[in-house]
Amino acid sequence: MEYRSLTAQEISELEDAGCHAEEWSRVLVAEGFRPGAVARCTFSGAVRLGAFEEPIRHGATHLPSGVRDSYLHEVTVGSNSLVQSVGLLANYDVGREACILSCDSLTVEGETSFGNGVRIEVLNEGGGREIPLFDRLSAPVAYLAVCYRHRPRLVDAIEQMVRHYAAGKEGTRGAIGEGARVLNCRTIRNVAIGVRATLEGCTLLQNGTICSSAEAPTTVGAGVTASDFIIGTGSVVDGGAMLKQCFVGQACRIGRQFSAEGSAFFANTECFHGEAVSVLAGPYTVSHHKSTLLIAGVFSFYNAGSGTNQSNHMYKLGPLHQGVVERGSKTGSSSYLLWPSRVGPFTVVLGKHSAHFDTGSLPFSYIDESDGRSVLWPALNLFTTGTKRDGMKWAARDRRTDPEKLDPIRFEVFSPLTVGRMMQGIAELEELYASAPREQEYVRHVGIDIKRLLCRRAPRRYRMAVEAYLGETLVRRLEAAEDPADALARPSAGAAGEGDWVDLLGLLAPRGQVESLCDAVERGQVDTLDALQGRLQALCDAYEDHEWAWVLAAWEEWHGEVPAKMSTAELAGVVRDWEETALKLNAMILKDAQKEFDQTSRIGYGSDGGGEAQSRDFQAVRGEFETNEFVRTLREESETIRARARAVLSALGAAGEE
Amino acid sequence: MAVDRSEVERRVKATVARVLDLEPEQVTDESNFIFDLGADSQQSVEMVAAFEEEFDIEMDEDEALAVQNVRDAVEFISEILDQ
Repeated sequence: MEYRSLTAQEISELEDAGCHAEEWSRVLVAEGFRPGAVARCTFSGAVRLGAFEEPIRHGATHLPSGVRDSYLHEVTVGSNSLVQSVGLLANYDVGREACILSCDSLTVEGETSFGNGVRIEVLNEGGGREIPLFDRLSAPVAYLAVCYRHRPRLVDAIEQMVRHYAAGKEGTRGAIGEGARVLNCRTIRNVAIGVRATLEGCTLLQNGTICSSAEAPTTVGAGVTASDFIIGTGSVVDGGAMLKQCFVGQACRIGRQFSAEGSAFFANTECFHGEAVSVLAGPYTVSHHKSTLLIAGVFSFYNAGSGTNQSNHMYKLGPLHQGVVERGSKTGSSSYLLWPSRVGPFTVVLGKHSAHFDTGSLPFSYIDESDGRSVLWPALNLFTTGTKRDGMKWAARDRRTDPEKLDPIRFEVFSPLTVGRMMQGIAELEELYASAPREQEYVRHVGIDIKRLLCRRAPRRYRMAVEAYLGETLVRRLEAAEDPADALARPSAGAAGEGDWVDLLGLLAPRGQVESLCDAVERGQVDTLDALQGRLQALCDAYEDHEWAWVLAAWEEWHGEVPAKMSTAELAGVVRDWEETALKLNAMILKDAQKEFDQTSRIGYGSDGGGEAQSRDFQAVRGEFETNEFVRTLREESETIRARARAVLSALGAAGEE
Repeated sequence: MAVDRSEVERRVKATVARVLDLEPEQVTDESNFIFDLGADSQQSVEMVAAFEEEFDIEMDEDEALAVQNVRDAVEFISEILDQ
């Protein structure tokens, strides 16, 4: 924008309106500037003012734009903005149509990179797993930087990229984006404020970046104190939240006095009331209740019950223990885990556990406490309403509206990761059952006890899930191609998806592909954060191709057959088996849902009446099983399974045959 | 060869008592696993496994968990043994 000097007449009008300037010659204005929009201000250093022609919207009203009752030092104010009653606004460029109202001070003091480059101690409070923050940090990049310490050259390379990126953010001036609103805040120091962000009633913000965009505006609300931080687009941090050395990703909700230190939270996380220390909280980490402490752990797709707690500090060398709670897990009210431990995917933890266990190979389980002993109930969380609902809700609840979604997320409950773990679990459980004497009640598995008899049953549950998944994937392939030969051919990526899979905090990918990417980073072939992010996104996009390669290999291992070599009759058999298994699993989940309507669930209803009142009260609040939305969805899904099976059998020319 | 129902009944009751940590006399023909004997969902699955091991049979879990009381369990297991 072009600026000009003030005329003598304009200076005179400004002085008459109670304005003062250290040097009027250093106050420049845009074409269209009217002195009448400026009153009772002090200017020092170089100040540039836009044209204040249009009113600015403030709640339900419109206020005249301009600059009034404020001290401005080394500031540019964009056209049609309002700066009013600001004790000190220094070293900022304020975008067009911004509104800064009733604030104590917004200043940039000295050289700063606005939170970029700050190293935070996640996962291990004793250090050794620090990540450097930057305003485009994604969950898998954080995961690699924190958890791949066995590859020091990789970690060094990522840190180097971040240092380079943060250096590009260094400066002595800050930006308050176009259309941003900063209202009734106290101290804001060295904070970059994005486009259309709203800051209202913040207490103290320092050394940070609030990313925000027109599509995904960000809100930082009342009583928030934050230092050394990054907040991602579309997030809301309010309700007196206290953040120190934290990264908050996209579309997160942090509030109601939640306090966090040395922690990183990624997309769609919700944390209220409780506390987090040194946590690497992947997408969909949820902690809603008071007295809940998440500490020194990795979490994702996680739900913390009230009073959930962990310890990392029971021994003499300091807080050096850490825990891993894999995707989809929950911890019940007042549950406790003494780190180190690892909770496998989709596992429910109940009770207090001072044993150190690793249940990674036994996903979809319950971990309970019995007479002070930690007991695993393998595969009991496999065909439950809760697991099914979780799988349905995450993708539907992705609140990210930013066109650029930084965290590449795969939402699948059943994937090569979890199914591969179940296949491993089957072998382990069968071995445990075979080797334990019949009179033995419990067997021991990596630090946890399992009822010996469950080692007999659980593999069958896992088998059903494995077969349903393999069948579903194959049927999906058959549905997508006209010719079965094309459908069952190897994927274009070849064998790239075979072998173990890993979960990079929401991104499911073959271990081999992740290792190849790490190699490329170490060799300098991937040497910018954008390039690294691009490769991770490509891995996410290639999921189906990699998954198919994995399924082909798993099919051969599991069934001893190569799908592409199966006859039409054999394929038809696969489709029928899949239909039967999938319907059976849905029926089991429906039965589980039915418990929510049984007599026990009615306790507490109709408290001032008899059985009839109880029944009617329950029905009024909870409705009927038959009309319940989840139940209807599941039944529709069963109908869809039947229809899909019919269609594929028809395409195979096998409809009606048995 | 038809199975001896009284023998099945004796072994079912003994298995139930063992899994649920009860005195054998507490387990009667009419005992409902959940409401009378206090079995939770986890113990129910364990009981299915215990029956399988005791009688060296395989049971459909869904069908087995639908069985509510001792008498029906004896019937259910006897039918499998009869096949």
